[in-house]
Amino acid sequence: MAGLSLKSVKKRFGNVEVVTGVDLTVENGEFLVFVGPSGCGKSTLLRMIAGLETVSEGRIEIGDKDVTHVDPAKRGIAMVFQTYALYPHMTVATNIGFPLEMAGLPQDEIDRKVAEAAKVLHLEPYLQRKPRELSGGQRQRVAIGRAIVRQPEVFLFDEPLSNLDAELRIQMRLEIARLHQELKSTMVYVTHDQVEAMTLATRIVVLRAGRIEQVGSPLDLYENPDNTFVAGFIGSPRMNFVKVRVVRVAEGFAFVSAEALGLSEIPVRLRGVEPESPPGDVTLGIRPEHFRDGGDGALSGIVSVVERLGGTSYVHAALNDGSQITVESRDPREHQVGRAHTFAFDPDSALLFGGDGKRL
Amino acid sequence: MTNPRLAFLFVTPALLFLAAVLGWPLLEAVVLSFQNVGVIGTTGSWVGFDNYAKVIGSAGFWNSFGRSALWVVANAVVQTFMALGVALLLNQKFPGVRIARTWIILTWIVPTVVVVIIWRWLLSTSGGMINPLLIQLGLIERPVGFFATRESAMATLVMINSWRWFPFTALMMLAGLTRIPGDLYEAARIDGASAMKRFTRITWPLLQPTLLVLGIVGTLLSFNVFDVIWLLTAGGPSQATQTLPVLIYETAFKGYKLSEAATISVLTSILLMAFALLATRAMTASEEAR
Amino acid sequence: MKRTLPQSVALYSGLLLVFLIIGMPFWWVVSGSVKLPREIIARVPTMFPQSFTTQHFEKLFQSTDFPAYLVNSIGVALFSTIVTVALALPAAYAFFRMRFPGRNALYRLILLAYAFPTIVVLIPIYGLFAKVGLIDTRTSLVIVNIAFALPFSIWMMRSFLSTVPKEIEEAAIIDGAPARVILLRIMAPLIAPGIASVAIFTFIASWTEYLFASVLIVSDARRTVPVGFAGIIGQYQIDWGLLLAGATAATIPVVILFAFVGRWFVSGLTEGAVK
Repeated sequence: MAGLSLKSVKKRFGNVEVVTGVDLTVENGEFLVFVGPSGCGKSTLLRMIAGLETVSEGRIEIGDKDVTHVDPAKRGIAMVFQTYALYPHMTVATNIGFPLEMAGLPQDEIDRKVAEAAKVLHLEPYLQRKPRELSGGQRQRVAIGRAIVRQPEVFLFDEPLSNLDAELRIQMRLEIARLHQELKSTMVYVTHDQVEAMTLATRIVVLRAGRIEQVGSPLDLYENPDNTFVAGFIGSPRMNFVKVRVVRVAEGFAFVSAEALGLSEIPVRLRGVEPESPPGDVTLGIRPEHFRDGGDGALSGIVSVVERLGGTSYVHAALNDGSQITVESRDPREHQVGRAHTFAFDPDSALLFGGDGKRL
Repeated sequence: MTNPRLAFLFVTPALLFLAAVLGWPLLEAVVLSFQNVGVIGTTGSWVGFDNYAKVIGSAGFWNSFGRSALWVVANAVVQTFMALGVALLLNQKFPGVRIARTWIILTWIVPTVVVVIIWRWLLSTSGGMINPLLIQLGLIERPVGFFATRESAMATLVMINSWRWFPFTALMMLAGLTRIPGDLYEAARIDGASAMKRFTRITWPLLQPTLLVLGIVGTLLSFNVFDVIWLLTAGGPSQATQTLPVLIYETAFKGYKLSEAATISVLTSILLMAFALLATRAMTASEEAR
Repeated sequence: MKRTLPQSVALYSGLLLVFLIIGMPFWWVVSGSVKLPREIIARVPTMFPQSFTTQHFEKLFQSTDFPAYLVNSIGVALFSTIVTVALALPAAYAFFRMRFPGRNALYRLILLAYAFPTIVVLIPIYGLFAKVGLIDTRTSLVIVNIAFALPFSIWMMRSFLSTVPKEIEEAAIIDGAPARVILLRIMAPLIAPGIASVAIFTFIASWTEYLFASVLIVSDARRTVPVGFAGIIGQYQIDWGLLLAGATAATIPVVILFAFVGRWFVSGLTEGAVK
């Protein structure tokens, strides 16, 4: 087992730079998740770690070994693909044993290791079947089996759950988490689904346009996003952003107002260094779950849609300045579409972002 | 990801083979066309463009060229017509459709010689089936010699060659047809389009790319047809069916004018390549326009 | 979708017409091959044989070289097929997946082979083979057949290879499989229909090849069916019974082959060719 480090890694396709300089160190045993919208370069980054894409610039190290130009098979990695990439003409047992066969292991040892992996993954009854005779979840487990028999130093997962239906996805998510706890190996996982990222990761890397926006533990990213992009990407439904003005700054608080919305001089805690003069127009970020009755802040708007989920509901409302907000509510009955309503929130949990999107 | 050395290891055997058996002889043909070699195996001297001047100035070459053009166009028309009909039939669902799709190609998998025997026999005036059949249908009054007159010889050859090739063309068209998604037809039915409209507004336009490719490939294939013509008419009667391949063969192996045959070959190749290039360019242009 | 009655009538009468156009000529030939000579040239042809004789087949196999032609043809076609597949598969894979300088130019050059009339190379090939002593050998036919089948085979296999998801190859690379193993253990089984199509195509093309076989082979004993049979046509006073028997005998091997693998070939043509 080993850690992994990327040093100013870049990737260019022709003139297009899809990964623009990534520096990252992954500790041994960590579960790292790359998350970001499509086209952010997360898959390319993973494929560079795997050795399936060449690195245009920079270095990749696994353990303490420079593997930038090493053959994929010799990097000590294993990869699980979104489409499973099982060999359709081979049985489950041959599929799982294939990397061992390629490594030149004797057949009895291959059989033993395949049996072991099959036991861990509950695949024992299916060893003689072909992939097409298996369900999606079983195929996924075969793909994982093929990865674990190699005892790699680093596991790579490329959106492994995207092809599964919602229920199976949750089940497999749990299984991957269990696997990580059992094997304690380093895992790097790519997904566009922030829920997967939050539930699986020890650390999340948020990527946008080939650059790292922020790295941190799931809760850290949730509570302390560095900018509006991370704040908007992590958390579901996404954070509400409201245009406000800073009236004055004092004792680590910014007092914000927005006359059109009925906000006046609400104190919001500042994170960084207190600016010398009020920064003027800023963005106030409030998560849907941070609205609560009796909060010091209040936004009034007209309810447009109420989504009932059972335990909670999401109320969508239009504010006076035309922007939309989403509010989590325990009791949907108090909201009626078309009616005006005042939504109270807790200023302590609200965040403030500057004109450039950076957290204040 | 892969090293070029390995790739070369993979392609070199095939490339060497093609270079030796097709590439080098092609160059050799060009060389030959600038010499005056007569009988195969003898040597000649350089004569510059003499052969080209002679061939281009001869009526025989242009007559054969005209016959080849007629041959290609006539085959294209007949085969497209027959093949499209068959492809539409085979694109339906009916019991035994798989067997029909497989065995339709029977005429294409038997040796040309067999095709030749079949049709010589069927068209013969003694014991052949076609003459009595046509008489019974009232189309003719007495047995006809199908290869006897210039026009009927060419027409008969086109029909026989088309009989051999239309199933192959039909399967290629079927490939194009099966590529058209079925829900398009269902949507069109819901929109109230008649069978005729569905053909003219969906099938025909979506089949265009396939037909274009087939047009190019088919032209090259039928241009090269030699054995059917040679074995049935040997270019006759009085050169009525002497297409360019037949002319080349005769010039080289009957007239013992090897260099002249090579010259005709080179000119023919230039014509065919020009056609292939222009046609593929036109095709890619129309694809980009879409 | 339900068909209306007129549509069904149109469909089945169309199918019947096609069946007759293709089937009748073969039926007349096959049935004619067992008729007595006087029935064969009867003024009013018979649909079903009124007489039965095996005399034409006996003559074909006993007093002509037809059996030798058959053996030659099968041998030439088999060797041509095996070598073509062996050469085309790695080449197609390299053109499809591997990067090397000049790849696209070479690929286009290969396909250009069909823009030349085959007869163009006949004369120089004769000279070339004469120099290396290949004239009048069956090897010369194998070589020519391979050369003419290769471009199509490479093209066909390449289009089949492109139907295999890239991830499967990537998984094999990560699993440590070298290119040779990926080609033989992963790709080849996955494009088996494509390989079958190419093999059948080559076999049939070799089986029916006439032009080169007529020029490159001199001695009667080494002729293939098309040329040898064409010789029989000229050799005798037109003996229809013998010719019909020969046509039947030349058809049977490919029909047997096709009965086993024809489905692969047709699905290869219709599914592989369009990609």
